[in-house]
Amino acid sequence: MTRLLGSAHIEALAREESVRGVLVRTVIKQSEFADEQELELLEDALQLLLKRFQAMDGEAS
Amino acid sequence: MILRSIELESFGRFRGQTVEFRRGLNLVIGPNEAGKSTIAEAVPAVLFGTDRLERFKPWGRNVCSSSLFFEGRGHTVEVKRNLLTDEVELVEKDDLYHVRSQFSGKAPFRGRSASCREYRELLEKLIGVADEKLFRATYFFGHHPQSWSGDELALKLRTLVSGTAEADYAEILDTLLDEHFQLTRSNPWGRDKQRDREYETVCQQLSEQGDEGAVPIFVEIDNPARDDSQVALEEEISALTGELEFERQEYEKGQRYIARFRQQADFNEEKAKPPAKVEPVKEEISGTKKALAEKLTAAGLPPSLPPQLPEVLSAAAEIRQELAALQQPFSILHGREKKIPQVPWMVIGCLLVLFVALAAVAFWQPFFKTPLLTAVGVCSVALLAWASWRQINRNKILEQCRKERGLLEQKKGVAQQRQAELSERCDALGLPSSAVDLVRLQKLVMTHRTLLDQYWSATESDDPGVVKGAELVDRQPSSPDPAVSVVEKDLLKAAEAAEELSQLEARLADFAAKLQAKETRLEELQAQLKSGRHAPGAAAEAASQQGPLVQEISVKSAMSPLQRRKNDLEDRIVVLRKSINLLADAVDEFSRSHLVTLNAEAGKMFGKITGGRYTEIKLDENMAPSIQVDGRRWTPVDHFSRGTVDAIYLALRMALAKVRDDGRSLPLMLDDPFVHLDQKRLAKTLNLVDLASTDGQLILFSHNLDLGKRAARERWHVVPLDGDAVNTTTDEGGEHAGQLHLL
Repeated sequence: MTRLLGSAHIEALAREESVRGVLVRTVIKQSEFADEQELELLEDALQLLLKRFQAMDGEAS
Repeated sequence: MILRSIELESFGRFRGQTVEFRRGLNLVIGPNEAGKSTIAEAVPAVLFGTDRLERFKPWGRNVCSSSLFFEGRGHTVEVKRNLLTDEVELVEKDDLYHVRSQFSGKAPFRGRSASCREYRELLEKLIGVADEKLFRATYFFGHHPQSWSGDELALKLRTLVSGTAEADYAEILDTLLDEHFQLTRSNPWGRDKQRDREYETVCQQLSEQGDEGAVPIFVEIDNPARDDSQVALEEEISALTGELEFERQEYEKGQRYIARFRQQADFNEEKAKPPAKVEPVKEEISGTKKALAEKLTAAGLPPSLPPQLPEVLSAAAEIRQELAALQQPFSILHGREKKIPQVPWMVIGCLLVLFVALAAVAFWQPFFKTPLLTAVGVCSVALLAWASWRQINRNKILEQCRKERGLLEQKKGVAQQRQAELSERCDALGLPSSAVDLVRLQKLVMTHRTLLDQYWSATESDDPGVVKGAELVDRQPSSPDPAVSVVEKDLLKAAEAAEELSQLEARLADFAAKLQAKETRLEELQAQLKSGRHAPGAAAEAASQQGPLVQEISVKSAMSPLQRRKNDLEDRIVVLRKSINLLADAVDEFSRSHLVTLNAEAGKMFGKITGGRYTEIKLDENMAPSIQVDGRRWTPVDHFSRGTVDAIYLALRMALAKVRDDGRSLPLMLDDPFVHLDQKRLAKTLNLVDLASTDGQLILFSHNLDLGKRAARERWHVVPLDGDAVNTTTDEGGEHAGQLHLL
């Protein structure tokens, strides 16, 4: 399965000096200590948030 | 990094025009509808593409393209985009015009292809931003509403710090909370809501059904993972079926293509009918040459490169260097021409008029008439003699410069002639003629020189009856027998076609194997799903014997719709809670790490605009700004005039750009933002803008013609737009002028 975390898009977002950038950095930090289930949840949450931030295609805010 | 120029080949109202900018403050000035905003919008449109193509596509023309030239320390970046096809060419070059990195391909707005990702990564590396919205939030500073309240200003700031141009983090947080409380009354962040929501209703219904004995028979239904597994299985089957359908069509297309190719190859082979002495040699070639050709292809080099390639490439490099070397004398010459002082004929004229007036006065007054008239006459003659001498000197120097320029032009002409000849030679050899392609080829040749030498020596050692296409071109005039040459060519084509055919067949076979593997996988998945569905009443027992996956499927199949809904709701609530917590943490973290710096920077800038009257700005947790008055009271911005609010916004935007600056920042683009400022405050704001531009580049778009006067005084770079055309300033003596157009 393709992981959202670790993708180039996420890495690029993590370098941003914005709330969105801080958010991605927070998720990446939490994912380092997460088990598989928690990781899945983090990815789902990140995906939802990035769609709301219009940083990903998908549902509109 | 500064924006050196925008080339508007066919963009909006502009056609074939170039707008050049300099370091520091640039003023694009012109009346309404002159094209200021079009120029400003060209930057994000070229960098990221656009979804508003109709706005920029010239009327009645089926072309819309533009280029940007950026200049940083030790490198330049050129980005060219065809907005109709979204074909982008990005080239980064070092000071010596060597290509450092490049991209050529499609990169549409919001594209998600691999090529798009590659382009954005390169963009991020080079200019520090790969997202259109972030670009707008950081570097664009446009029109404001006629008047805005403190809340509106706070909303705008929240949007900007969110990293987008539209979404506001507080609004996102509110939406997520709303969505959460539409699903459940349970509140992990405070007191539970009083009224039951969907989740509680579903639980209630399930509990009632349980009393009637209609609850699903498996306890495991509470585990949402089981639900997911069957859905995942069905999704996988559906995706695989779609993929297979598409790939089968592709496979059939491939088969048809190979059949046609084979027919064509057979025809060519028949046509070639090589002489008896050539045939055995042809057989020998396909051994070593084929292996070498494969290696060359793997290294990114086409195998049909002629042995004259190194010579051609070194000639191309020599011409490039020659042309580059000529740029410097041209710049120096232009500088010298500019430094030649003008004769102040205007001043001299005024002085002469003054002298005539003095003479008239001297003539009418009774004392020292003659000495005064003589003095005036002598002064006039001396002045005229001096001016004439200056003019003669100026003409001499100009003539000398003209001669030097002529010599340089001659040298340039010779170099360009050589370049044209080289281009023709490249065309004859089947090589690309553009400088960029030749530089790339040179790098590849340098890297794989040994391999190429082996390939060429293998070609040379062959029977002279078999030669490469390029050599045939060279030898054509002296070929003793044209008929033999034509046969040789056909032979070569046939050999290449056979090689290509074998490669195509290998690829098709590989594709067929993958297709087969996918079909097998699909059958397996369908069997799994079927066995799961066929599990009757005692599904749990059967499933437990067949393994965990089947068990999950059978359990899922036994779930009631209500139970499924409950599981879905639980999943959604968990994800929503996690999202809310993550976002709240991120906002807190941002406030801790960035807000203090932002407040300090904005306060400093606001102090400069207001002449020290207000020096402190404070943003609260909602990004609503307050200003400290008299060194103690914090007053919300609603209590200040529109001009002051504009000034606060300007200070905050510039502070934000500074906070985000990582050394690769692009120019700030200000599109008429000072319309509400009074003259005094406008002057101060412009001082601040001027100050801010000293570290980088700032482009101010304005319709205020008074700014033009100030621009002339302050030596800003001015791009006047007259409503009909761009009067671009193309000062060739400027910093690195003309160098970007070398290739």
